[in-house]
Amino acid sequence: MSIVSNLRANLRTDPKRELWFTWYSTVAFYSLYSVVFFVITRTQPPGKPWLDPEQTVEWFADRHGGLLFGFGLIFVLGGWSATAIALIAYSIRRMSVSRAFAYSYLVLYLIAAVPGFLLICIAMTAGALRPDRNPEMQRWLYDLGFLSFSGTMGVFLVGSLIWMAAILLDKNRVFPRWFGYLNLCNALTEVVIAPSWIFQRGVLAWDGVIAWWIDVAVFGMYTGVFIYLLRDVIIRDDLGTGPLPERPPGRPRRLHPLAKVLR
Amino acid sequence: MAAPDTSTADLPDEEIERVPGEGDMWFFVLFESLVFTAYFCVYLYFRTQDERAFLEAQSALNLPLGIVDTIVLLTSSWAIARCVQEARAGRYPAARRLALATIGLGAAFFALKLVEWVNLIRGGHTFTSSDFMQHFFFLTGMHAIHLLIGFVALGILVHQLSDPQRRSQETIETCSTYWHTVDLYWVLIFAVLYIVR
Amino acid sequence: METSSKLRLLAAWLVLVAITVIYLWIDRSADDGGTLAASTIVTISAIFLALAKVRIVMREFMDVRHAPPPLRRLTDLLIAVIGVSLLTSYLIGRVVA
Repeated sequence: MSIVSNLRANLRTDPKRELWFTWYSTVAFYSLYSVVFFVITRTQPPGKPWLDPEQTVEWFADRHGGLLFGFGLIFVLGGWSATAIALIAYSIRRMSVSRAFAYSYLVLYLIAAVPGFLLICIAMTAGALRPDRNPEMQRWLYDLGFLSFSGTMGVFLVGSLIWMAAILLDKNRVFPRWFGYLNLCNALTEVVIAPSWIFQRGVLAWDGVIAWWIDVAVFGMYTGVFIYLLRDVIIRDDLGTGPLPERPPGRPRRLHPLAKVLR
Repeated sequence: MAAPDTSTADLPDEEIERVPGEGDMWFFVLFESLVFTAYFCVYLYFRTQDERAFLEAQSALNLPLGIVDTIVLLTSSWAIARCVQEARAGRYPAARRLALATIGLGAAFFALKLVEWVNLIRGGHTFTSSDFMQHFFFLTGMHAIHLLIGFVALGILVHQLSDPQRRSQETIETCSTYWHTVDLYWVLIFAVLYIVR
Repeated sequence: METSSKLRLLAAWLVLVAITVIYLWIDRSADDGGTLAASTIVTISAIFLALAKVRIVMREFMDVRHAPPPLRRLTDLLIAVIGVSLLTSYLIGRVVA
């Protein structure tokens, strides 16, 4: 069978097609997100907190086109982030724990998306829109954007803890327990952002080595891991309510190297 | 986990090789240790860039208190290790007493930390008063959060020991492994913050 | 058999406390004369002693001594990585300063 006819057959008959659609969407969304923030708008790594108003105007001028285009894309496609959250919520629903976990996670992340994600886009676009605006005002927008992005970590932190609790209590073995503990590591690094409200320079400022670089390194690893694990969940899913079966035979499972060592 | 290996049934308990607790918790130990190491590396690097200021602020620290802190946590690690030994031998009441002792020692450590922080703040050394103090309060604060989570782990452990229906040696060992990390990170924090010049 | 493992734990605790007390002596010698001074020797010995303690806690208290060889090797590797990272950061910092 050719690839196209294979694909057509799968799309028509595969009961997991919606799950696969959300998984590919998740990968696409996170890729878009990375490209927009790191490459097009260059708002990550974040600008320095101690810039004076004139330097802030320069910062906006440097990124003028990128900000408008990149965040314009986000405004159009940002709703796409719902697929990632939905897939994670589905995986939590699939566990043996109360549905309250999945619903709390869903609500938390949907609320968090506004200040944690959209606000920086709005603030920075507003800043780029009128370059001749009063510099103090520009700096205000700059602060608003970065502080909301970093300062809302508390919500994501609680989300990680909910996911962790669900995984550790789960009897359906949807996720491996080490991923539950990785959620704890992720939550702990997110605690670290809280001091960025106090410091304008140094390692705990919003662009600091600890508050941003180490935190993003951990978060990046964590995101890569859960995208991989979600794929595993979909492959194993029997769309039922009991324990998730192991991977079907014939598909050699590549264990995490640590798992091989510790098993 | 591997199926019970009956060929080792005659060997004394301590000679059988097994992973202490869940392997997954060991993943956490390794990963979190690397994260803490990253924080220490940042501190050590920035310290060398401004030695004078760091040395001056560091001299405000109470070393004997740090030593007492370290001994308290080392003893708590000893207590929980003994607890695991007793649980393995089936002596659950003794194990429970040792687990409660561990919680007590952890609480003593936390109380000492609070006293130390209050004293430093009263002396004018706060989170924002100097770069050294920024790192100090950050590292000891993060450690304290790990300690508080440790109380949850110990609570689960005591819960397990208290009820014959519930006991799982693996869960007991897993919680104990977590508690040891609280001690491990303090050992490193003490050396890096209090002694390093 | 059981008493020997009990004694072993106690011995480990004593060694750890002894190393901790050595820090008092190192600290005193570092501040000798009352002047505050940076010292590479103090730093390196402090870190080495800490790593020794970490290894003892892992081997004896965390029972890595009775773990399968891969875990033993992994924890030793972790200790080595911690040591190398800490010392490298400190030494690079001193060179750059």
